Amino acid sequence: MPTALSSVAVPARRRFRLSAETRGIKLMLPVLLLLVLCFLVPVITLLLRSVMEPTPGWQNYAELLGSQTYVRVFFNTFMVAGVVTLITLLVGFPTAWLLAILPQRWSRLMFAVLLLSMWTNLLARTYAWMVLLQQTGLINRVLMALGVIDQPLALVNNLVGVTIGMTYIMLPFLVLPLHATLRAIDPSTLRAAAVCGASRWQSLRLVLLPLALPGIASGALMVFVMSLGYYVTPALLGGTSYMMLAELIAQLVQSLLNWGLAGAAAFVLLVVTLGLYAVQLRYLGAGRSEMGGR
Amino acid sequence: MLLDYDRLGGWRWGLVAIGSAVMLFLLLPIVFIAALSFGDSQWLVFPPPGWTTQWYQQLLTDPVWVNALLTSAKVAVMVTLLSVVLGLLAALGLARSRFFGKSALQAFFLTPMVLPVVVLAVALYAFFLKLGLTGTLTGFVIGHLIIALPFSIITIGNSLQSFDSALEDAAMICGAGPLEVKWRVTLPAIRLGLFAAAIFSFLISWDEVVLSIFMASPTLQTLPVLIWSTLRQDLTPVIASASTLLVAFTVLLMLLASFLKKGSRQ
Amino acid sequence: MTTPFLQIRGLRKTYDQVVAIDQVSLDIKQGEFMTFLGPSGSGKSTTLYIVAGFQEPTEGQVLLNGKSLLDVAPNKRNIGMVFQRYTLFPHLTVGENVAFPLRVRRRPESEVKAKVAKMLELVHLAEYRDRLPGQLSGGQQQRVAIARALAYDPPLLLMDEPLSALDKKLREEIQFELRRIHQETGVTILYVTHDQEEALRLSDRIAVFSQGRIEQVGTGEELYEHPSSRFVAGFIGNSNFLPVKVEQMGGGRARAIFPNGQAVEGDARAFAAGSEGTLMVRPEKMRIRPHAASARGLAVTVRDMTYLGDSMHFAVQTPWEQELAVRMAVGDGQGLCIGSSAVLEWDAQHGHVFA
Ligand SMILES: Nc1ncnc2c1ncn2[C@@H]1O[C@H](COP(=O)(O)OP(=O)(O)OP(=O)(O)O)[C@@H](O)[C@H]1O
Ligand SMILES: [Mg+2]
Repeated sequence: MPTALSSVAVPARRRFRLSAETRGIKLMLPVLLLLVLCFLVPVITLLLRSVMEPTPGWQNYAELLGSQTYVRVFFNTFMVAGVVTLITLLVGFPTAWLLAILPQRWSRLMFAVLLLSMWTNLLARTYAWMVLLQQTGLINRVLMALGVIDQPLALVNNLVGVTIGMTYIMLPFLVLPLHATLRAIDPSTLRAAAVCGASRWQSLRLVLLPLALPGIASGALMVFVMSLGYYVTPALLGGTSYMMLAELIAQLVQSLLNWGLAGAAAFVLLVVTLGLYAVQLRYLGAGRSEMGGR
Repeated sequence: MLLDYDRLGGWRWGLVAIGSAVMLFLLLPIVFIAALSFGDSQWLVFPPPGWTTQWYQQLLTDPVWVNALLTSAKVAVMVTLLSVVLGLLAALGLARSRFFGKSALQAFFLTPMVLPVVVLAVALYAFFLKLGLTGTLTGFVIGHLIIALPFSIITIGNSLQSFDSALEDAAMICGAGPLEVKWRVTLPAIRLGLFAAAIFSFLISWDEVVLSIFMASPTLQTLPVLIWSTLRQDLTPVIASASTLLVAFTVLLMLLASFLKKGSRQ
Repeated sequence: MTTPFLQIRGLRKTYDQVVAIDQVSLDIKQGEFMTFLGPSGSGKSTTLYIVAGFQEPTEGQVLLNGKSLLDVAPNKRNIGMVFQRYTLFPHLTVGENVAFPLRVRRRPESEVKAKVAKMLELVHLAEYRDRLPGQLSGGQQQRVAIARALAYDPPLLLMDEPLSALDKKLREEIQFELRRIHQETGVTILYVTHDQEEALRLSDRIAVFSQGRIEQVGTGEELYEHPSSRFVAGFIGNSNFLPVKVEQMGGGRARAIFPNGQAVEGDARAFAAGSEGTLMVRPEKMRIRPHAASARGLAVTVRDMTYLGDSMHFAVQTPWEQELAVRMAVGDGQGLCIGSSAVLEWDAQHGHVFA
């Protein structure tokens, strides 16, 4: 009885679809509630405190941008983030490239190392670098044994240590997505460049780099933004005299109880971070929704 | 030719050299602390003069460390359960509905992932101070949950996307009720997504430092918090052993994850 | 005697255990359109890639105008190539794509401009100069690829299944253009395909590949009329294969008998008397006669007949219950109907005996 069957099936289907549209919203309520209450409200409250405490007005921002100490913190933060991004790019691009073309046997191994390093506890990694980089640490002793240096270098409690530690942490975050970009490029395109007469440098400059540019740009932006807001590694490897923005925020709250200024610093960090992500979404197309948005 | 490994000529060795150096760089600290944790030098001399398990004994007999370990585990398990359940609900909601502003809502769900953790930590700290939730398990769980949820939603959302909703309709037409459909058809199909979300959530909670520092009290702290506060005083090898345990645990979970992935392909 | 334009000598390529090609030798004349035809995995691409320089042969030599190509880096070989997949540079416009080989050769900008205009004219895409490849159809993209490959006047153009990603109609359109471009430019073309119709339509000569070796080289007509092996006969055109036992050899012909004891003759290479073989006859070379009188013919039963407009198609059954295909002009099949007994005939020169 084909007619009877279809007359039952079609309305059932339609009813399901309709009710699903509203039920979908109900399903999201718990998460929505949690995020509004324990995420949105606290963050907005913190930001509001920057213009409300100790008295309403912009004095926190004036202080933040007017004081030598705080401007120095901003400078440190942006400089470290910039240098880390640069080094990560210079080292990460060849690594991602190799990972993209290596025979599977070897690329698996590289993958495992990258994932292991990425998922190893942040403190464990930072601790290792503190020990490795200290005056009597392995790095200094190896360099001295090799005759590269006579005196131990000061590698921790300054921005050198922070840069090394941050580069270590950021490398996988650049290499993994960039490797995906490079994998998506058809090797035949590069073969075509070669038969067209392009030397390897020309192929790199005129074909591979332009094709990898979206991946390079979004990876670099991500590394830069993440570096701006990092707390643990700069705090442990940078010592107290070389402070970065995240550490400043924590200090203002924990030691100085200056919530207004902390709110202002948080606001600056937030604006820069979200602004750069917006740039990425807008211009680099990373916004193609990662989820099941149909 | 630049993307053909065996036709790269001399450049191949350049890439291999850089790649190998990076791999060594990435492995060095991990291998190094593992070795240190078994070395008998209080002053972290490397290579150590002798080998010992005394740091592990110290770690596992000191009630402070043991308590921190237990707290970490408790928090991580709760976060995992909540994150998977709530993440599943949200992902289902997003995948199976259409309304104005949906993509904005989706973006909102993912913001905790891109926000600097320190901002969230300070904001939550202020909030929980008022509510008296600092230094409580609830505080830890809520904090970790907020940063674990985006990963959960993405992972489960991806597996839902590859799962054909026509299957649900088919089950529906065969006479199954809506709840039964979810239970019998949808859940088994996205099982792997759920496992992945669980592993992600667990690791995020287990490794979380910044939020935890602000949530902790002297009597209630997770393992990373304890490592953090110990680190600020000295670099004792006990931390090396604690770190090694954390790494070992991570490796275990990663192996489990890759095992599950392999199983899914068969 | 002048040296051939392109010589491929004893090429062999192995991947670990796998032998991709072996003993591939071929001479190609200047201006020739040579096609490599063969089933998937038969080594056509491998041979082409060795000429292009993407792969190094394990053994053998490739000479262009008598000089070895193998010592020359791929980007210095000055060869044009069109790939199976679209390999236009997606970030460059059509015009910039065609200009690419000229720019990397640092030709003066005025020359580049003129040449790009001329090449786009050649492939009829002048008005698409400022589009990006992503905004073109597959057929248009392949035409741009041809323009790019010819922009620097390479003496040799390699094409690896350039049309396989296109639908039938587009394919025929571009085949037509390719012939025209070949005639207009006089470029030597090495073309890979596994489509026999395409090979016949385009080529001056065809090299048939099978399992890493060249089975036969010749014009389409030679391959069709005088296949040297059962594989070539089966790969090009339709054919009937009848089991025979060879009785006697002589003067390039074999006398053989069918399973029912009837004798038959056919072209053959050297054969040991008494060995089993196969007799191949093309469907259109066979005739069916309604009366069962002729002693020379094979008695068959008509099983099926299909009217195809320009011809009739018959399925007939031999005494040993093998089904054969026969094609005849519409008027020639009169008096036949399904189930009737008939006699199958063909001229002895159209029978070929293979091992
Ligand atoms: N990189 C490789 N590693 C191992 N074996 C290979 C490799 N490339 C090709 N082969 C093998 O070499 C043989 C010839 O391959 P080739 O690509 O030349 O075939 P083809 O005739 O071009 O086939 P198709 O029509 O499918 O393109 C095949 O058996 C193939 O499996
Ligand atoms: Mg091929």
